Amino acid sequence: MHTTLTLTKSTLKMFVRNKQSVFFTLFMPLMIMVIFGFVGFDSVPTTKLGLVAPNPNAATQKFIEQLKAVPSLSITTGSEADERQALLKNDRAAVLIIPDQLLPDTPTAKPAIQTITVLENVGQLQSAKTVESIMSQILDKTTLGMVGAPELFKLQTEEVSVRATKYIDFLLPGIVGMALMQMAVFSVAFVFADYKEKGILKRLLATPMKPQQFVTAQVITRLLVALAQTAILIAVGVWLLHTHVYGSPFLILLSAILGCIMFLGLGFTISGLANTVESVPAIANLIVFPMLFLGGTFFPTDGMPGWLQSIVHYLPLQYLTNALREVMANGAGFSTIAYDLYWMLGWSVALVGLAIWTFRFEEKRV
Amino acid sequence: MSDIISVNKLTKKYGDFTAVDNITFTVQAGETFGILGPNGAGKTTTLEMMEGLKPITGGAVTLDGKDVAKHTRQVKAVIGVQLQASSFFDNLNLRELIDTFASLYGQKVDALKLLREVQLEDKQKSMVRALSGGQKQRLSIAVALVNQPKVLFLDEPTTGLDPQARRNLWDLINQIKKRGVTIILTTHYMEEAEVLCDRIAIMDHAKIIALDTPLGLLKHASVGSTIEFHVDKKCPTEHYRDLPAVTAVEDEDHVYRLLTTDPEQTLPALFSHESDCASKIFNLQLHQATLEDVFLKLTGRKLRE
Repeated sequence: MHTTLTLTKSTLKMFVRNKQSVFFTLFMPLMIMVIFGFVGFDSVPTTKLGLVAPNPNAATQKFIEQLKAVPSLSITTGSEADERQALLKNDRAAVLIIPDQLLPDTPTAKPAIQTITVLENVGQLQSAKTVESIMSQILDKTTLGMVGAPELFKLQTEEVSVRATKYIDFLLPGIVGMALMQMAVFSVAFVFADYKEKGILKRLLATPMKPQQFVTAQVITRLLVALAQTAILIAVGVWLLHTHVYGSPFLILLSAILGCIMFLGLGFTISGLANTVESVPAIANLIVFPMLFLGGTFFPTDGMPGWLQSIVHYLPLQYLTNALREVMANGAGFSTIAYDLYWMLGWSVALVGLAIWTFRFEEKRV
Repeated sequence: MSDIISVNKLTKKYGDFTAVDNITFTVQAGETFGILGPNGAGKTTTLEMMEGLKPITGGAVTLDGKDVAKHTRQVKAVIGVQLQASSFFDNLNLRELIDTFASLYGQKVDALKLLREVQLEDKQKSMVRALSGGQKQRLSIAVALVNQPKVLFLDEPTTGLDPQARRNLWDLINQIKKRGVTIILTTHYMEEAEVLCDRIAIMDHAKIIALDTPLGLLKHASVGSTIEFHVDKKCPTEHYRDLPAVTAVEDEDHVYRLLTTDPEQTLPALFSHESDCASKIFNLQLHQATLEDVFLKLTGRKLRE
C-alpha cells in the first residue's frame, strides 16, 4: 500500500513535469476549443446582395432603406454592369434591378405595374430565394399600406433561450472527450514504450516490487489527471466562451472516468504491440485520428452517409462524447445516457482484456 | 567465512545458442568477486540469472540460503542491482528518485545521506539528465544501496568513463566493500579486476576458463615478468640464464631481457653478480605480468579485440 501510494505520488509529479504530456492533456484541447469557439460556426452568415437603382425617387429610396435595415443582408449598390460582374465572380447571392419609379411618391388609385428583375446566383440559390421572400414581404406590406388596408396581424416575438443551440455547447463535450482519449492513449503508450526501451522497467523488476503495483500507480495517476482535465476544460469553456453546462457534475465525471478506463486499455494495448518508441505514434495515430474525426468530436455525425454512420456508431469515442454531450448540453439524467455507459463498460472490458493479453512488463524474450 | 552465493551448473540457452554453459562457483560473504571477459562472453546473462531477472535454463543459484528461481522476490529484497547502462525516470530529481526506489522495497531512507556517500549531495535537486556519466554511475550505485543489500551486483560499472571518473568509482566501491557488503562485478578491464577483486572468474565463450585470486591467476598461468636492462659491456648469455627463476634470456646488442617467474628472486641475484662480468647495468626496467597477459595466455587472444 505504501509502495503504491509513493509510486502514485512520484508518477503524478513526473506527469505534471512532462511538458509533452501537459501539452496533449491540456493545452492542445484548450487551443482547439478557443479557436473553434471564437470562429463561431453558429453566427448566421450574411447574404451578399447587389442593388441596381441609379436614381430612385423618395418612396423607392425608402424601400431600399428598409432592405438595408435587414440584419442578415449585406448590400452594395452599383451600376448594372458592375453588379453583373460581381455576380459572375460569385460575390453576390443575388442582384436586384429596381426601377427608379418602383413606388409612386404620391399615392395614385391604380399605379402601373413595376417590374423588379432578380438575377439569381445559381451557386447560392438558397440565399437568393431568401432575399426574394424578404423583398416580397416588404413590398406586400408597402402595398397594403398604400391601399389603406387595416392591419389584421401583429407579430410578437419573444426570445427564448433554447438549450444546446450554440455550436460551442456542442463542441465542449467533444473537446473533453478528445482530450481524455489523447491523454489516456498517448501518455500510457509513450511512457511505457520509453521505459521499456531505456531499461527502466528492467531496473524496476530488479526490486521486489510487484508489477501490478506499478501499473496501479500509473492508472490512478491517469484517472486523477482525467478528473482535473475535465474540470479545467469545462471551467475554461464556461468562463471564456460562455458555454452552457446543464447536467449533473457527477454524471459528467462518471462518464469521464469510464471513458478514461476504456482508453487506458487501448493505451496499454498499443504499448504492448509497439516494439520501439518510434512505432508508438504510428500505431496510436492510426487508431486515434479516424476516431477523432468520425467520433462526433467537432461535427455531428448526422450528415455522414448511412453506411459510415452505422460503423461510426460503435466507436468508443462516440459513446463518450454522446454521454458527455447529453449530460452537459441537454441536462440528461442517468437513464438517458445509460445506453452509452453500458457500451463504454463493454469497450472497457474488451480493451482492458486486450491490454492484459498484449502488454508485457518484461522485455520481449529473445 | 561462509558462502553467501552458490552457483551450480548454471546454464542459459536461447534456442540453439548457449549464452552461459554449465558454470559453477561460490562467493563468500564479504568477498568482492569479479567476472572478467570480453563482450559477449556471457557475463551479463550470468549476472541477470543470479539477480532473478532472467529465467534459468539449467542449474541453480542459491543466494543467502534461498533458491533464486523459487524465491525470486525474497532474493530481490536482499540484493542491490546496478544494470549495465541503466537509466532512470526523467522528471524526478535525485532525492525523489531515491525515495521512490526505497518505497519499492517498502522502506524509507535518508536520501541525503545516501547521496552524500556517493558525493552527489549538491545534486539532490537535479534531474538525471543533468548528470555526467560518472555521476550517473554513482547515482546508480546509490539507488542500488537503498535497501542496505547484502549482495551488490555491478554490471560493468566503469565502462565508458574517463580514467579520473573510473578511479573515483573504484574508491567508492572499495568503501562499500569495507562495510562488509558482498560485491559481484563484471568488467572487461583487467586493471579494474586486479584493483577491486578478491577473486576473479575469467569467462570466455559462455564458460569459466579460470577462477582464482589475481595473484594466483598470475602464478598458475605461469606468465612471467620481464626484466630489461642495458649493459656497458656484453656478458655471456649463460651468465644470466643461471640466475634463479629465470626461464629465458634474449639479447640484442647491449640490451638484455630476462624472463622470470619470480622477479623478487632474480633481481637481488642479478645485482650481487653484477661485478662477476665486470659490466655495469643501467636503465633497468621491470615489466610485471598482468591479467591481460594471463588472458592472452589462456585464450590466445587479447581481451579487447
